[in-house]
Amino acid sequence: MTIDVQMNRRQFIVAAAAIGGGLALGFHNEWGNAATPAGAAASEFNPWLVIHPDNSVVIRVTTPEVGTGAATQLAMTVCEELQCDWSKVRIEYGTLNDDDNNHKIFTKSVPVFAFFSGRSTQTERNKTLLQVGASARERLKLAAAQVWKVPVSEVTAENSVLTHKVSGKTLTYGAVAARAATVKLAVEPALKPQNEWTSLGKKSPSKLHIPQIVNGSAQYGIDIRLPGMLYAALMQSPVQDGQVKSYDFAKIKHMPGVRGIAVIKGGAALKVSQGLASQPWSMADDRTGAVAVVADHYWQARKALEALPLEWEDGAGVRWKNTEQIFDAAKKALDETGGIVRKDSGEVEAELAKQPKIIEATYTTPYCDQAPIEPLNGTALVTPERIDLWHPTQIADNARAAVYEETGLAPEKIFVHQTLIGGAFGRRTTCDDVRMVVAVAAQFPGKPVHVIWSREETMRQGRYRALTAIKLKAGLDKDGMPQALIAHSAARAANARPPFSTSVQFSPTTMGLLDGSYVGTIVPHTKVVTHELPVHIRTGAYRGPHYNSTCFMVESFIDECAHAAKIDPLEYRLRLHAKWPDPGWTACLKEAAKQAEWGKPLPKGMARGIAIGNFGMFGQPQAGTTVCTIAKVEVSSKGELKVHQIDLALDCGSLMNPDAVRAQMEGGTIFGMNMALNEKLTVQDGRIVEGNFDVYPMLHMADMPQINIHFGALTQHERFAELGEAPTGTVGPAIANAIFAVTGKRLRSMPFRDHDLSWS
Amino acid sequence: MLFQLTINNQKHEVEADPATPLLWVLRDHLGFTGTKFGCGIGQCGACTVHLNGMATRSCILPVEAVAAMSISTIEGLSPDGSHPLQKLWVDMNVPQCGYCQSGMLMAASALLQEKPKPTDADIDAAMTNICRCGTYPRIRAAIHKAAAAIADNAAPAATEQV
Repeated sequence: MTIDVQMNRRQFIVAAAAIGGGLALGFHNEWGNAATPAGAAASEFNPWLVIHPDNSVVIRVTTPEVGTGAATQLAMTVCEELQCDWSKVRIEYGTLNDDDNNHKIFTKSVPVFAFFSGRSTQTERNKTLLQVGASARERLKLAAAQVWKVPVSEVTAENSVLTHKVSGKTLTYGAVAARAATVKLAVEPALKPQNEWTSLGKKSPSKLHIPQIVNGSAQYGIDIRLPGMLYAALMQSPVQDGQVKSYDFAKIKHMPGVRGIAVIKGGAALKVSQGLASQPWSMADDRTGAVAVVADHYWQARKALEALPLEWEDGAGVRWKNTEQIFDAAKKALDETGGIVRKDSGEVEAELAKQPKIIEATYTTPYCDQAPIEPLNGTALVTPERIDLWHPTQIADNARAAVYEETGLAPEKIFVHQTLIGGAFGRRTTCDDVRMVVAVAAQFPGKPVHVIWSREETMRQGRYRALTAIKLKAGLDKDGMPQALIAHSAARAANARPPFSTSVQFSPTTMGLLDGSYVGTIVPHTKVVTHELPVHIRTGAYRGPHYNSTCFMVESFIDECAHAAKIDPLEYRLRLHAKWPDPGWTACLKEAAKQAEWGKPLPKGMARGIAIGNFGMFGQPQAGTTVCTIAKVEVSSKGELKVHQIDLALDCGSLMNPDAVRAQMEGGTIFGMNMALNEKLTVQDGRIVEGNFDVYPMLHMADMPQINIHFGALTQHERFAELGEAPTGTVGPAIANAIFAVTGKRLRSMPFRDHDLSWS
Repeated sequence: MLFQLTINNQKHEVEADPATPLLWVLRDHLGFTGTKFGCGIGQCGACTVHLNGMATRSCILPVEAVAAMSISTIEGLSPDGSHPLQKLWVDMNVPQCGYCQSGMLMAASALLQEKPKPTDADIDAAMTNICRCGTYPRIRAAIHKAAAAIADNAAPAATEQV
């Protein structure tokens, strides 16, 4: 093996090696100052890109595939510069251990989100991936030039073929891959300008994992099969802060296949991560008391668990008798003095008092479960020397930190093997599932243990969208426009650690409100106060965290203001956003309105409603993805609701993969529509009541409106913003505002199925 | 208890409790992991297989009830991923996370067997599986396109006779 190391212009080190007769590119720290690192052993080199003699290309990706196409996106980004035959491309998951051995290139250049499924087009990540592709391409060109003894400037690279234009000679990438590993580049190549991209922003190849999905061979977390693997069925304390009080294993240990029982004590983690490569966030610090029955097959384990005599010591959360009690506590908190003042422009009360009209309303949203169709699960093999975890995690960094915190084993001895993910929507970020899997497997050292949550266990042991109440009070001037706004919110904060728990940007319940377009700029005098709701029920990330509640509340409230001002809701929003220094908002409003034929008369019983929002902006213009949704609905006089059509216009800056963007808009719209119309978890004696889809209904094919996604509002700003969250927020208020237009009934709580929509 | 099952036209022997749902026999005992566990109460359809050609949810079906039947799973939908639905699922980027899609494909292929040219209402009635990612619009479009492709292939090819 020979190795060539080059400093590149981006201050990281691209290292090339010949492996198996091909070209491998990676990054290496230890070789950084060494002129000739040829002594390094092949095993120390973990390439991120390999071109084999048969022309196949393997790209190691860091983002798991959760359904967004993130893993495919990373390969597409490399290939924009590599100019290879896309049909020869295969992806493998890179690991944190690979990253450790590669100058920590990804955890350094993409802090926090390096191994996260949701941020595949982050700017620094793009640069790193493009550089790897460009570096490989130039080495291949130089190798071909050496073979032909011609200047490299006469060699072109396209579709995995190198061509000498003058003579017409060609060589494949694979044919010169070994030689390319030995060439020296004088300097790493500059990246081509964005306007010369031929694939990114234009092409939408089929996602690389789909062929395995359609023939059943795709391996999700729940499909892991290892020699000698045992299956575990899990039950955690129904009141989330409870403990196992008593159990009688003797009664079930003779049942077929039963191998043992694991009893997990609830409480704090053994250790708290410090000094890891990337800071864990959104992580569970605690675990609930639990038992797991372990057997040869899952069904045996589950039947034995159901038969196990078991008593729980309920935690303090049992004091919450029902959901109404929690809502009452939240509404009461809104009126209390205190809370954390997140923003206060000063003199808000005085400004409010000056206005001729005051609008005030309180909105609520219930607990909701992400309900990915793949139930929570994971597999671990614990030995004294190392721990292997096979897991459908959304964030491998967090998963490794969770294993470390559970066991205290050094991070380099922890191996997280990423699997495909059967939906997540934030549920697989908190790693309470990882903690539980490792805690169970640790009691069966040397045996791989596959732990499966039943659907009921998945739904009742959630990290939920927080139950939220927000009171909004606006003062409208003589023209009906808001001059002052006071907002109080009450909810339990999602699990988070510093800097996320202390950051205003991530402050509980205010994303989409405090950091949206209205507060501070559009409405000059504002005050935002948050109140912590001391409920034991765990909360977490749910598609578009907090924004999924606040967008509904704010955009319905804006509609209330427009109605009070007797101004058309579209016109009202256009006037408001005329002050906002990001033209994408106005463009989205206008594009959606044009496409949805806003203002065109509809039959009685039908109406359109509009809402606009943004996820990812954090208070800044030209950041995140802005979405305007217009819903066309029909409400019968008896109150039956039919959503006929959704028109959505977005501005995420620029597009990487147009069809993948479209898919996220469709999916986010349907997810948000289900949330708004259907989703609600209730509490009884501290326990979550609903356990399955019979009582937590999901929209079906027959419920689908026509969904039209419009790209006409794209500003072509340089960002490639995160996409999946934004449409989840706007569809609910768009539908609610349309319902108001038909019925005169203002919906101030979700889900809408709880409301009587009849009218006459 | 020992059962003999015919799965994808192959005979398999399996030792299992007679009450074990077919889903878990397929997944854990025999390794057909393409059939998915989603809810366990027949609501979501991720576990859909064909029993004698009929789309059926396997999570609530005891293995003893199906011993004499012909069982097809996603792994048997085609030998090489060439079923028109499989090809269109790839071409049209239908799946997102993909977890529900083997059940969707089994439901859709049974529908096309029964109704080669399904209407939207037929699709609504037959496709009651749950997708949390929101791929319903693409599934509907792909089923219509597959029906057209199958009809084109089945019809006498006019161009060949010219």
